[in-house]
Formats: sequence, structure tokens, C-alpha cells
Amino acid sequence: MRVAPDTVSALWDRLADEVTAGRRFAGLFGSARPEGLVLSAHLAGRDGVTMAEAVLPATATSYPSLTPRLGAAFWYEREICDMFGVIPQGHPRPEPLLLPQPPDGALRPRPGEAGGPAAIEPDPRALPLHVIGPGLFTIPHGPVRSGVFESIEYLVETPGEDIPHLNMRVFYKHRGLEKRFEGMTAADGVLLAERVEGTATVAHALAYCHALERIAGAEVPWTAALVRVLHAELERLACHLDVAVRLADAAGLAVATARFGWHKEHVLRLVGRACGSRFGRGVVVPGGVSRLPLTGPGELLSEVGRLDRAVTADVAALMGTASFLDRLRRTGPLRPQRAREHGALGPVGKASGYSDDAREFRAYDAYPSLGLRQPAPRAAGDALDRLRVRWDEVAQSFHLLRQVADELAEAPEGPLRAECGVTDGRAAGWAEAPQGEVLYDVRLEDGRITRCHPRSASFHNLVLMHELFAGDILTDFPFIEASLGLSIAGVTR
Amino acid sequence: MWALRGLRNGVVTTRWPARPDPYAAAVRGPATVLAQPADADDRLDRLCPAGAISAADGAVRLDQGRCVQCGRCVEGRPDVFGWSEGPATAGLWRGALTVPEFEETPERLDALRSGLKTRAAALRRSVHLRHVDAGSDGTEEWEILALFNPVYDVHRLGIFLTASPRHADILLVTGSGARGMAEPLRQTYEAMPDPKVVIAVGTDAVSGGLASPTYAVTGGIGDIVPVDVWVPGSPPAPFSILHGLLLALGRLPAGAGRKAGSAAAGEGARP
Amino acid sequence: MTGFSAWLAAGLALLAAAAAVDLVAGARRHLLSALPYLAGAAGSVCLVVGGAGALAGHRATVWPAGVLGPGTAGLSADRLSGLFLVIAFGAAAWVSLGFANWARRGGRAGSGGRAGSGGTNRRGLGACYALALAAVAVFLTAGDAFTLLFAWEILTVAFYLLAGFERGKPDRPAAALVTLAFGKASGMALLAGLLLLAARSGSLALASFAHVPASGVRTTAQVLLLAGFAVKVGLVPFQVWLPRGYAAAPGPARAVMAGVAVNVGFYGMWRTLAVLGPPPGWATGTLLVLAGLTAVLGIAHAAVQNGLLRVIAYSSVENAGLILAGFGVALVGATIGDRLLVAAGLLAATLQVIAHSAAKSLLFTAAAGMESAAGTDNLDALRGVARLAPWRGTGLAIGGLTLAGLPPTAGFVSEWFLLEALMQQFRVPGLGFRLVLAVAGAAVALTAGFAGVTFVRLIGMVVLGQPRPVHPDLGDLRVGGRAAVVGLSAACLALAALTPLEIRVVAAGLSPIVPATATSGALKSPWVLQPVFAGFSILSPSWLWIAMPCLFLIVVLLTLGLSGRRLLRVRRVPAWRSATAGVTGSARYTAFGFANPTRRVLATVLHTRTDVRRIDAEESAAHVGYESDVIEVVGWYLYRPLVRPLLAVARAARRLQSGRLDAYLAYMLIALIAVLAVVIALS
Repeated sequence: MRVAPDTVSALWDRLADEVTAGRRFAGLFGSARPEGLVLSAHLAGRDGVTMAEAVLPATATSYPSLTPRLGAAFWYEREICDMFGVIPQGHPRPEPLLLPQPPDGALRPRPGEAGGPAAIEPDPRALPLHVIGPGLFTIPHGPVRSGVFESIEYLVETPGEDIPHLNMRVFYKHRGLEKRFEGMTAADGVLLAERVEGTATVAHALAYCHALERIAGAEVPWTAALVRVLHAELERLACHLDVAVRLADAAGLAVATARFGWHKEHVLRLVGRACGSRFGRGVVVPGGVSRLPLTGPGELLSEVGRLDRAVTADVAALMGTASFLDRLRRTGPLRPQRAREHGALGPVGKASGYSDDAREFRAYDAYPSLGLRQPAPRAAGDALDRLRVRWDEVAQSFHLLRQVADELAEAPEGPLRAECGVTDGRAAGWAEAPQGEVLYDVRLEDGRITRCHPRSASFHNLVLMHELFAGDILTDFPFIEASLGLSIAGVTR
Repeated sequence: MWALRGLRNGVVTTRWPARPDPYAAAVRGPATVLAQPADADDRLDRLCPAGAISAADGAVRLDQGRCVQCGRCVEGRPDVFGWSEGPATAGLWRGALTVPEFEETPERLDALRSGLKTRAAALRRSVHLRHVDAGSDGTEEWEILALFNPVYDVHRLGIFLTASPRHADILLVTGSGARGMAEPLRQTYEAMPDPKVVIAVGTDAVSGGLASPTYAVTGGIGDIVPVDVWVPGSPPAPFSILHGLLLALGRLPAGAGRKAGSAAAGEGARP
Repeated sequence: MTGFSAWLAAGLALLAAAAAVDLVAGARRHLLSALPYLAGAAGSVCLVVGGAGALAGHRATVWPAGVLGPGTAGLSADRLSGLFLVIAFGAAAWVSLGFANWARRGGRAGSGGRAGSGGTNRRGLGACYALALAAVAVFLTAGDAFTLLFAWEILTVAFYLLAGFERGKPDRPAAALVTLAFGKASGMALLAGLLLLAARSGSLALASFAHVPASGVRTTAQVLLLAGFAVKVGLVPFQVWLPRGYAAAPGPARAVMAGVAVNVGFYGMWRTLAVLGPPPGWATGTLLVLAGLTAVLGIAHAAVQNGLLRVIAYSSVENAGLILAGFGVALVGATIGDRLLVAAGLLAATLQVIAHSAAKSLLFTAAAGMESAAGTDNLDALRGVARLAPWRGTGLAIGGLTLAGLPPTAGFVSEWFLLEALMQQFRVPGLGFRLVLAVAGAAVALTAGFAGVTFVRLIGMVVLGQPRPVHPDLGDLRVGGRAAVVGLSAACLALAALTPLEIRVVAAGLSPIVPATATSGALKSPWVLQPVFAGFSILSPSWLWIAMPCLFLIVVLLTLGLSGRRLLRVRRVPAWRSATAGVTGSARYTAFGFANPTRRVLATVLHTRTDVRRIDAEESAAHVGYESDVIEVVGWYLYRPLVRPLLAVARAARRLQSGRLDAYLAYMLIALIAVLAVVIALS
């Protein structure tokens, strides 16, 4: 049955107006509620994240698609179609994204609805070709990749050397975590939020806890805010160093790969010494943090200083290696206009001149009080600029870490967590992960989560991969993939 | 220029397992049962969000294969639970990950060990790894990749990473067993030549972890491929993964296997 | 008539009989359809015997001087003619067997399967084939300018008829016209050159041209003659007709054109050198540079073509460049008076002629009929030839290996000799010659590399590839074709092992140009060869033929021994494709894709254009269109701008053909008056 278009179209009109007015489209998801399927859209601006909703009646099977008006909704609508089975009319490519099933598949997870199918077997069918021409064939990369990578399949349609088009199949490691959130207590939800995208553990936990704290109206104590910033920036360092390791490895610079791997190991060991887990797990809890760092501020300061010197020296050497820079220059360019239209997050957007850093424009925790020292934006948008943006963020992180260490030395004793016991409510929380902004929309009923939607920056950014191949050849592929620095676990959840 | 830069910091590689390594000895593994509680408390199993603790018939048992290292039990009952230290966390059969250990019949253990031993006999000195991600959260991949950085450098032990399963001897599987990856994982297993060894790396792979049960994951990869070595941890530290690898290859002496909760477990193992 | 003369005459008579049988009884009956070709094969064998006799020094004259007309010198074969008779008709004999096989199969496989009537539209092909062979034979034995030109024009007509035989198919008429145009142009050049020489020397006999004093006329004549022969073999900028003409001819006629008849061009150049000596230095330099350019251009196009026939045809262009590079070395040697250098260059060039003749005939014979059976000659459509048609596959593989210059084939030996001859440039005084020899040497070396790529694509993807799931019926060769493949493959392979013998034969054949003792200097010892100059380098293909199989055997035995019985246990599994869920379209490298890096690397030579644009296809999900094309630079930049003025001139000239009787009478009157005036003025 076709839906009465006014509700949903009115929502799309409002979204289009807001986007034209300057807000950024930050996500679209569905929840199965008693009144029907609720489509919720997030818009991000300087004043925070706002939400707009429309309701589809429970019997509706389709609705007019948002993607022709707002291209950034491309993957969001496909995910809604997979989860709920409603077809976006007018969507340019309504293929399954996370749950490949026959079109008349009856089993849908329907997050937001209690219960659900015990098992849904994916039914992958071959994707149709997207390029036509003589002599074309498809090289599948994945899902079992040729190194230690997360499972995703890239289908390169190529005539032999160039890449006119790249296609992706991301459904392989879909874990259905949105259904797993349902029924958990608010406290247990942090544990699962940490495991949505493991390389951005702290950021996801922060976003989730911000949502809970917004529901409860709780204020995080200053010391706890500092510790949160500490772990978030250490995580950012680790992620950016990982990107450098992958790029140096793709370029064949063995010594650079080894050295940056060594620095990354230092960062992970530092995190482990500070909180017991190499990835900062168990630190961020709703209302604050679970404990102070086990390493004192003085030791932190000296460690950070040592790392800073070592990393900066190696970065200077790496960015002076002409053969390496040649591989990255003009590789995988993202046009600034495209980045702005799509609202590209994190370093990907910053390299193309579009910066919407949540630490600056929607600051949280201790960031409003710390000097951010944002670097100048870049314009070319190629892999080299993305790497340069990451080095700028690394320098920024060191600066922040030093401030945090100094502040922690003088921080007052006191409780590390605010009271955050809530039983009902709904709010959105965000944090800036190394990949970009992470957004959580949490709804609590009776102290249990009924709907938790994690939107990671990887999900928002990965769709841009389709457009990055302008005249690049097969050997540029690992550079483009590594320069994006995304985590597939966050894409598929 | 890079060559000189590489020589600047000398040797940073650990000598483990030939020599003891202080970081290895301090690696935090899954939670473990330090002592049985004085009072028979049936509510101990509610401490664990992953369902690892069972407090039935008076004895408290903790399945390390389900432990996600959240620390709730350690903080809640520090008299009963604590962290296991050291890298020796891997087990040769699923039940071996439960602490305190079950009474294992020596025959069963020997049968297991010899089955693995014959297969690994040809692989002792030089072995190639293949990794498949069956729905992990990304951290186990970082820890496996860390094995190849200059600090751990498993190349010195003759362990290499290969791009194709046709050349691989050991299959490292991470992730909770996403249904989308079941068939690719099976195909990878079939593509590997005999003899082959499968190692489940991480709590997600051993039991499904916190992500299980949902409609999209099975409970770990044990149902998809036959697993020889189980390495718990969320994620397991690189030293733990390395311990699991050497256990599979039979390059650890018999006494250097699992000793749950023992701080001396990580020392003195010979290659 | 002495023995060998009788053989020559018998050969010519059999060819005439073949033409007659075809025209009269013509392929009307199924049994007789192969007869012209069998007669042609027998005629070729006779000509080979006759040529061998001439090579050994016996007299071989078909008819003496004066029979065809006053001033003519008759048909007789000296050693050089004998050598080329053996080469050309040695290949022609096997090609004729393949031709007979093809003709018996009754034509296009798709024509309703009526075997008998499939030949009615083949009527006349046998006559054209016999005409071509006869013209070749006459040209090779001609002793005077008139007979030479006569044979040349007949050959041009035969090529036109062969190229345009299947005139119903697309592009055939245009290709035939282009073939004819270039043939006529070469005939014009030959006519002008020979007439200049005849005017100076006062007689039509070729031997008398040697006494023309060195002057501008002699130089002009040399250049014209060389240019005329260069058009035939396909030197840049005359190579544009070769791919179109060869691809247009039906079936094994391509082998006749490309493997047998092309040798007349080389023979003509050899004869020019023998009679007139070397041209001036600038001409030699130009020839060397053009030869290098031809080789590179030919292989660049061969590497990226999508059609099997075009690949093989462009390989002919490449080989023309290689052979003429060797010939250029000989010209340099003749200019500076170094006999050994002449011998080195000519030996290399002749060996390459032999290897090319055998391999090209083999390739075209193996490919004959594949296009009509499969409906297309696209390489991607023809994958898996080795499985679907093993005899064709073997032919393609061995021919390809020979042209790629891989040991232990004859192509390897000839390329080795060629490169060694080019490397002798340090013995040449004067910077100019050294420079052009270096340029030619570099071009030849580059060509060798890309030849490897080209034939790897052909052999690896087309011959050894997996057939498509719905594979075309390629129709394997029958008895005649199989015999042809066996004979020509044996030639390609055995000639390598028997190179010392081959060199002795070639030395005897080249004796009108350079003494046999000089050429035999290539034989360092009974089985070891050197590039005529001693102490430079050695090669022993005969020992290669023993050593390579032995090494292979040793490796196999070692592997079997050390691996226990496990080596023979095979588990057949599909190729590892990273566990993908499946793709529509092809997931394997296509032949087009394999050539893509070459298209990019050689983009300056090929003028590659790639076009990626957004398209809107409603029925499929495709939204990107991709196109990639190469252009033939010489044809595009040199000939295309000339087409319009040529057509304008033709249109203007057509006004003369008014169809009015009084106009034609007026033309005749004007012509008569003009001739009278010239005669009166000159006497």
C-alpha cells in the first residue's frame, strides 16, 4: 500500500530546507514502533544535533525516496529497506546493503520492535554490472582479503588497468548489533557500544554516554572529562598511526612501516598501562569515568613528550620521501563540492575543505576549555591531503594531551562519575572519533534500551569510495583504501 | 636515509619466548577465579553481562571463552575474581578455557595433543598464516597485525603471513561468526591444503562474545570450521595470540601451557 | 631441357593446370574442390626441387631468352632465385595442403551444412590462388625487366582478387581496393625505376643494369626499386594496406599472401643489392630508421588488437621491420666495403625471412576457417582453442612461439643473428651509420620485448585459456590441415636444430651478393654458430635442442623423486577468488584487459584514447560507459588528409569519362599527335 506522501514528503522538505540553510544531514534511520515505522533524521549544526521524524503506517510497503533530493541519504535508505522491508520509491539503486535477501523475504529484523527472527541467512546474489564497454571484467577483492583486513568485498570493474568504477558489497560482517542493544540495561549498553567499532572504542562509548547523560541531564565532573579527553586523543593517535603504517606498507617503505608500527605499539601500551585495556575499554561509563589513569600525570607528560618527538621526526622524514609522496599525490581525489554536498566527516572531509569537527562546533567533555588549535583546511582532497590532515590532527592531539596532563596534575579530588540513573527518555549523543563524528540515538524505557542506533563515521564516509577513482589504476587501490582509514565493523555493525 | 633512521634505536624486538619479557608477564588476560567464595552465592552469575560465570551446585566456574574483560566481576567481588596475568591463555579444547579446569582425562588430552601434533609436525620451523575476519569489531585485526611490527616480529620465529589460503598452514579466524561470512570462511578452509590448523582468536570467535546472540551471528566460529586452538580475550594481546600460535605448533614445552591465574605462566617457555 | 629445368617447368605447368581445373570444373563437385590445391601442392614441390637444383649450381631454365618477346631474357633460376624458390614454395606446399582441406570442408560452417553447394561461391578461388603462386614463381625466375613487371602486376591483380573474394562481407571491397591501390603504387615505382635503368643500359636484361654508371639516375632507380619492394613487404609508411588486405582474404589465402607471396618483396630487395649494389648513405640510413620504426609500430599494434587476424597481420609488419633492419646492416656493409658485415646482415635477414615464412604460414593456416566457424575473430570469443580444436591450438602456439623469438624455435636463432648483426655497429667507421644502427638496434630490442607480450597474450589467453561456457564450434582441422600444421611446425622447430645446414644453404643462395665463404664464417664449428665475425659471441641451437629437454627431464625426475608419490596426487578445485559471492560478467582477465597496460605504456605510439562517461541505461543498472581506442598513426595523419584531395582529383578526372564517342575519338587523336611529336623531336 502506498503511503500517504504528505508526512514523509513534509519531512523531506524540511530536511532539504535545513540543509540548504546550512545544517548538515547527519543520518536517517527507522524504528519499529506501535504506531508504525518511524523515520528519524538527524541534522547537525553549530548548536548541536536536532532530530526530525515522520511516521509510516504499519501497512506501508514503500515511501518516496529522499536520495534524489539529498544524495547523502543513499546508503541510509538502503539500510532501512533491509531492516524493515519498505522500498524507497525513486531510489537510484535500491539493492540490499546489509542483509541481502530475496525481495519478497519475509524475515526482517525490525529494530525497535521487541523480539525478532532468531536467524536470517543472507542470500547473496551477484551484483549487476555498473559499467558497460568492451573487454570489461570484474576483479573481486574480498571478502577474504589478501592481508589482515576486515571483511568487505570491492568489485573493481576494469578493462585491465584503469578503474572506471568500483562497486562494494558490505554485508559480509553484519552482526545485527542494533537488535542486540534492545533489552540491555543502560550500563551494559556501554560495553556493547565499545564493541561496535573497536578501533574507535572510546569515541563510541563517549557518544553513547553523552546520549544517556543528556537524557538524565547529568553533568560530567571536570576530572572525568579530562580523563575522557585523554583516552579519546590517545585513540586518535593510534588510529592515525595505523593509517600511516598501512600507507607506508602499500608503498613498500619497510623501515617507515616498522617505525610507525613501533610508535603505534607504544601508544597502545601506554593506554594499557593507563587503564588496563590496550584499547581503552571499561574507562568511559555513563556519568563519567570508572577510574583515574593508573599512570600519574608526570609520567603521562613525559611519555607523551617522548612520543611527540619521535613521531614528529619520523613524520618529517616520511613526508620528505619523494617516491612516497608521488604515490599519494592526485590519487583518489574527492572534490570539495562533493565533500560539502555529502557532508564528509573527519579527515576525509577536512582534506577536501569541509570541516565540521564535533570537538570544535559541538564541543563536549573538556574540549570547550582546552585549546584546540585547529589547523588550516586543505583543498585538493587527494590521498596526500588526507594524510597531511591526519598529521595535523596528530600534532593537535599531542597538544591536547599535554594540556590534559597538566590539568590532571592540578585536578581536584572528587567523584569521577555523576549520577546517571534514568529509566525513560530519548536523546542523541555524539563524539568525534578518529574517522569522524559518531552519532548515537538512544531510547530508554523502564531502564532498558528499546532502540539504540549507532551511526559511525565509517558508514557515512565509505559510500564516497565509489567516486574516488578518477583515472587511477589498480596499484593505486591500496593507497586510496588506506587513506580513508575507515573501519568496516562500524559500517556494517 | 631510511636505513640509517632504522638503525637509530637499536633492537626493540622482544626475545619472548626464549627469554622472559616483563610486558608479556604483565599482559592482562581474561578474568579468572581466584578462590571459591566463602558463601554459596547464586547471584554471582548475574555479575557477568556475557554469561561467563556459572555458579551452579556451589562451585563457581568462569568460562574464559565468554569473558569480554569488562571487569564487572573483578570490581564486584575482588575476593573471588581477578585478572589472569601472562600470555598463556590459549587452550586446545573448548572446555580447557573454563576455570577452574575440569578434570580432563589424560587419554582425551593426549588424543587431542597428538592429533594436533601430527598435523603440526611438518610445520614446526616455518609456517604461513592466513586470517579471515568473520564479523569482528576491528581490534583483533590490530592485535594480529601487531605481531608483525618490530616489537613482536614473528618473522624471527619463522611465522609469515600469506596472501592466499592455498599457501597457508594456519587459519586465524576472528569475529563472532557473522552469517554472511560463514560461506567464505568455509571456502577458505576448503582452499587450504592439508595439514592445516585453525585458531579461533578472541572471545568473539570462541563463543560469539557480547555480540551474540543476534539474527546475524552464530555463536562463534566453532560451528563453521573445526577449531584446534582457542585463544580467549577481548581482544587477546599479541603475546597471547603468539602463545596460541606456538601452542598449535607444539613449540612450547608441556609445562608452559595454560596455568590459569598464575603469574609465572609467561616465563621460561622454550621455542 | 635438363633435369632441374624440367622440374621448374613441371611446377609451372601444374599451377596452370590447377587454375584451369578450378575455372572449368570449378568446385562444382565436392570431390574436385580440393583438386586445384593438390595440384598446386604438387607444383610447389616441383618448384622446390627445381630451386634446390638451381641453388646447388645446376642450370635451371624454363625457357631461354627471346621466347616471350624480343629483349626478354626468359625464365631461369640462379642461386639467389633458387634460394627464394625453396623458401617460398617450401611453405606453399604445406599451405596448399591446408588450403585443400579448407576447400573440401565446403565453406562456411553456417551455410546450412550443404557440403556440395557450399563450394559454388568458392569458384575461382583456386584460380586466384594458382595465379598468385604462378606470379611468384615467374617473378623469382625472371631475368629481365619486362617479365619482372609482368609478374608483379599479375601478383597485384591476384592479391586484389584474393582480398576481395568474399566481397559480400563488410569491409572486404574497401580492403581489396586499398590492396590494389598500394599494389599499383608499388608497380608504378618499379616501372619507373626499371625503365630508367633500361634507358641507361640500353637493354631490358637485369644483368645489364649492373653496368649503368653511378649517377643520379642510378641512385633514383635504386631508391624507386627499394621503395616499390618496401610497399610490398609493408615498411612504414606503406604498411597501412597489410592488415586490412590480409584480414580480408578468405581462409588460407591469407597464408599464401603473407607467408609465401611476401617473399617476392624481399627477393626483389636482395636482387637490387646484387645487381645495383648499395644505395647512397642517406638512403641506407633512412631505410634503417624506417625499419626500426616499422618494427616498433607493428608490434605495438599487434599487442593491442582485439581480432586474431589483425594480430597476425600486424606481426607481419613487425617482421618486415626486423628483416629490413638486417638488410640495412648489409647495405651499410656494402657501402663501406666490408664483406663480413654484408654477410652478417644478409644472413640474419634471410634466416628471419625463413622463420617468418614458416611461422606466418603456420599461423594463418591454423586460423583458417576459425573466424567463419565462430562468427567472429575477437580474441575473447575464441578462448580455449587448445581444448576445442587441439590441432589449431598447436599450430597457433608453435607459430606464436617462433615469432616471439623463444628458444628453441627458429625465430630465436634468427633474432639472435639479427641482434648480433646490429651489434656490430662498432666496426663501422663514421658516426652517421653508427647512429642509425644504434637506433635500429634499440628498436629491434624493444620489439623483441613486446613480441613476447603479444604472443603470450595469444598463446596464454586464446590457446591455453578456458573456453567460454557457451563456446563456439571452432571446427578442428582435418587431414590436409593437420599435415600442414605438422609440416610447418616441424619446419619452425627443426630448422633451429639444423641451423648449420640451413646456413650452408643460405650461404650458397647468397653467393651472387656475397661470397659463400664469407657467409659460412657463421659456422664456427659443426654445431656452433657465430655472427660471421669471429670472437664476438656464439650460439648453438642444436645443443639447445639437446640441453633444454634434458634439463626439463632432470627437473621432472628430481621433483618426482624428492616428493615421493605425492606429486601425482592432484586435487582439482576452482581457482581461489577470495571467496566472492559471485559476479555477473567475466571475472577473468580478458584479452582486451591483458593488452591494457601496453595500451597505456605505448600511448604515444598508439595514440590511445580512453573515455569514461556517465550514461543512462534504463534496462540495466549500468551507469558508466567506458571506451578505449587506438589509432593507426600513419593512416590517420598521413593518408586520411590525402583522401579528400584524391577523391576531388578522381571526381575531376571522371569528367573525362563522358561516354561520348566523339570525345574518345578526340582523345585518341590527341594522343597520336603527341606520340608523333615526341618521336619526331627525339629522332
